[in-house]
Amino acid sequence: MKKKFKISRFFVYLFLIVAGFFSVFPFYWMFVMATRPSAAYNSIPPTLTPGEQLVENFQKVLEKTPFFGAMFNTLIVCLVVTLVVLLISSLAGFAFAKFKFPGKNIFFVSILLTMIIPPQLGLIPQYYLVAKFGLLDTLFGAMIIFFLNPLGIFLMRQYISQSVPDELVEAAKLDGCSNFRIFRSVVLPIILPAFATLGIIVFTATWGEFLWQFTVLRDPDMYTIQVALSSMNTTSNVDFGMILSGVFWATIPLVIVFLMFNKLFISSITEGSIK
Amino acid sequence: MKKSKLVLMISILSVMILSLVACGGDKESSGGKDGEVTLNFWVFGATNYEELAKEYEKENPGVKIKVKTSETDDHHNSLFTSLSAGSGAPDIAMLEIDQLDRFKEAQDRFVNLYDVGAKEVQDQYLDWKWQIGENSDGDFLFGLPTDIGPKAMFYRTDLFEEAGLPTEPDEVEALIQSKEDFIKAGQQIKEKTGKPLLDSMEMAYRAIIDGAEESFFDEEGNLLIENEGNAVRQAYDLAIELNELGLVGEYEMWTPEWGNAVNNGDFAIELGAAWLKGWMLDNAPDASGKFRIATLPTEFAGNWGGSYIAVPAETEHEEEAYEFVKWLVSPDNQLASFKSDAGLFPSSPDVYEMDEFKNTEDEFFGGQSTAQYFANAAQDISFIYKGTKYKPAHDEILNAMNNVQQQGGDPEEEWAAAVERIKDLVSR
Amino acid sequence: MAFTRKYRSEETKDKISAYLYISPFFIIFAIIGLYPAIFSLFLAFQKWNGLGEMSFVGLNNFKVVLQDPIFWKALYNTIVMGIMGTAPQIIVGIILAFILNQAYLKFKNTFRAMVFLPYITSMVAVALVFGVFFSNNDTALANYILNIFGMDTVAWKTSEWGAKIAISIMVFWRWIGYNTIIYLAGLQSIPKDLYEAARIDGANTFQQLRYITIPLLKPFIVLTVFFSTVGALQLFTEPTVFLGTQAFSRTEAMTVVMYLYRDAFSLQSFGTGSATAVILLFIIVVASAINTYLTSGIRKKGKGIKS
Repeated sequence: MKKKFKISRFFVYLFLIVAGFFSVFPFYWMFVMATRPSAAYNSIPPTLTPGEQLVENFQKVLEKTPFFGAMFNTLIVCLVVTLVVLLISSLAGFAFAKFKFPGKNIFFVSILLTMIIPPQLGLIPQYYLVAKFGLLDTLFGAMIIFFLNPLGIFLMRQYISQSVPDELVEAAKLDGCSNFRIFRSVVLPIILPAFATLGIIVFTATWGEFLWQFTVLRDPDMYTIQVALSSMNTTSNVDFGMILSGVFWATIPLVIVFLMFNKLFISSITEGSIK
Repeated sequence: MKKSKLVLMISILSVMILSLVACGGDKESSGGKDGEVTLNFWVFGATNYEELAKEYEKENPGVKIKVKTSETDDHHNSLFTSLSAGSGAPDIAMLEIDQLDRFKEAQDRFVNLYDVGAKEVQDQYLDWKWQIGENSDGDFLFGLPTDIGPKAMFYRTDLFEEAGLPTEPDEVEALIQSKEDFIKAGQQIKEKTGKPLLDSMEMAYRAIIDGAEESFFDEEGNLLIENEGNAVRQAYDLAIELNELGLVGEYEMWTPEWGNAVNNGDFAIELGAAWLKGWMLDNAPDASGKFRIATLPTEFAGNWGGSYIAVPAETEHEEEAYEFVKWLVSPDNQLASFKSDAGLFPSSPDVYEMDEFKNTEDEFFGGQSTAQYFANAAQDISFIYKGTKYKPAHDEILNAMNNVQQQGGDPEEEWAAAVERIKDLVSR
Repeated sequence: MAFTRKYRSEETKDKISAYLYISPFFIIFAIIGLYPAIFSLFLAFQKWNGLGEMSFVGLNNFKVVLQDPIFWKALYNTIVMGIMGTAPQIIVGIILAFILNQAYLKFKNTFRAMVFLPYITSMVAVALVFGVFFSNNDTALANYILNIFGMDTVAWKTSEWGAKIAISIMVFWRWIGYNTIIYLAGLQSIPKDLYEAARIDGANTFQQLRYITIPLLKPFIVLTVFFSTVGALQLFTEPTVFLGTQAFSRTEAMTVVMYLYRDAFSLQSFGTGSATAVILLFIIVVASAINTYLTSGIRKKGKGIKS
């Protein structure tokens, strides 16, 4: 019995390693290309080991783009978007999960409907609005449309209704807590894992966004990283080593952010179980 | 501990939002210091305009130029969006020749450069190039000409030699004087080296279409492709013919495989425009010294690419913008753009007479001085009308050729299907 | 008497709080989302090239789109790639999340990061990598492997099934981590003692998965099915970057959103583009309703809407 159990664990690890390999391989390949001259991209057989142009390729990136400035802009955009989405989603999720109010279902369904308009078609009218508000070339203009995140509200509603016991809310009410205080002191600590999840998703999605930011940011000082990277990718000059070097170094901060959130995720679980 | 962290997070957030909103307000007050004019200038692809703009700033204190470079499609779509919304367009924008007709429908969103004195520089430029920048009545000028893309024959000397063909440009020109000569040489190369003459069917198709005065549409917007002797059909037939003779490869342009094929010499001839050299320098380093340039047979002469610089009507500084554009594309600066890495080929025949232009020896082409070949080709080109939907229609033909070559489709059926799809595009 | 009054005022207070808490979303939507929505709807009945005058054409745009075989082809492509690319994600995602949540698992953090990595990787890199692995040539990695097994080279970008399979794999690869961490979040809301009790009762891993994890994860599964359905029907970025310059001229992998984008931005026909968007909206509503209904089964009134 015990032995059989171990064999199953062996398969579990094998499965994870295989899955991990497929996940990581393209990322690794990107790193390899970031360390090699452009021609390696075309070579047969494929190049699979790192070369020695790591620094050189990155220097080219720095020459061609305002890399660090763009990273800083992106960081601000992503942080603000993530925090706003977390705030809006958790408050709305709390309301949908724990309160009774007229029109609740209609409101909930209408949030659904807002995400069904293909964003590609909304581009021109949304651009028009942002231009009219005088928000072109501002980071606020680059982030405003991402504040709308139906997934966040959905996720939070589900999580709160499942993991925050009604009794706890009732008890807090009997103690005379205001609703906002209940949210802050009772709900928030419990939903930290969901915060971590939603935070990762929103942060990375905003980091990778291109089309909208390209459309509203035209001043190189305001570029976000994807816009900056795309500006060095012009058809007449395809230096893959340089492009992938830029892409690679722009991805590293995300990995770090992920690991940070992930820690929050894990620690909050263990803490929860001690209580 | 955790609670206080959250409170902190939320307060940081509100401060950030407030400060950003405040920033946003500030940014809008444009203009800057007294008497200083800032011109936003959007360009695409590889140019030396950023350096030239810096030079202009030095010579003209009080003018600041902000250059934004993007990828070709992104550039045009972004420009379209801002023109469509009527706000946020730059003061100056570059327009690619194939995209130009699409923007001509928005005449009221551009400054008529004739109104700011463009007539005085007209004789500096090639007539056909200038005329394409006008509206159909000829009384509205959208943009001043930048570069052009006259085509020439880029041939591999090593493959020509292997096939027992001459390798000197004069001899090659004498050998290939017509379509028939072209095919004959191709068959000899195929026989001796086993390699195709051209990289792709698109290249064969372009041999005719890039030089055609009329292609898919006339200026009234009528579809011409079903007419007798239409250039699109001729071009398509040539591509089909070469394909059936096994003279075209399957190296689709701009793919890594194509770059590889150029680098290794997997096909013998490229019918390229002047700007192709810049691309080869970067992406096919091993091909250095292997290619030479020769003039194409007249029936294959044509123009591929090139741009204009326009001033959107939104600008508050049309005079300053025009002055800069005029300076930027002046013959002297066209020479500078030509000599830069971007290799933009001048649209001003004045440049062709300059010694510096004529005598540039090109190491990539084994020391051949190539500029003259393109300059000769440039003068043989005539006015070309493309129309708003040129690009999607062109793509449908590429599709049909692709289906013939890769899926073994029947050329007639594929042609008929492409015509149907083009008709549908036009009806939109 | 006094008690009921206090109760009532408590209820009113709750209502006010609730409206207050959901208002930010709707306020932002009113500012930035409502106008585009109305504008799109309005455009669906106009002929407009994006720059010139608009003219009212009634239902003609819908007629043009619905009679266009390419629209139907695009819809078919979208559904086929949606099924191939997203359905497996949900199943594999649940299994991965279940495994990654096992208490005994070592290197949990590492494995989680690995699985999530594709979602972080920039689209530019993904396009380049997949472009090389799935090109039309013999040298493409995918073709190299097929050749080893004695199969023919596939034109991954231009053949009917090649393009669909390559894009589905790309979608699967890129989004699997996303679904997995949503499930992981869902698993956090399942009390640990349930597993404990099951283990004591002698339930094996599979039984735990079948009788505890999946039922309790169901709301989250329904959630991801809904979002995957919408996402699949709005598929745009992956095929566009994978196909590159040919994206809008070939139909093997053209999706509905690509079709409408092509109408608007390359054919300058914003009317038919918007009409397509309206049609797509109906399709999404119907499809997500069906899918959500199927996954939730004949659901008893869930915990979510509690009184």
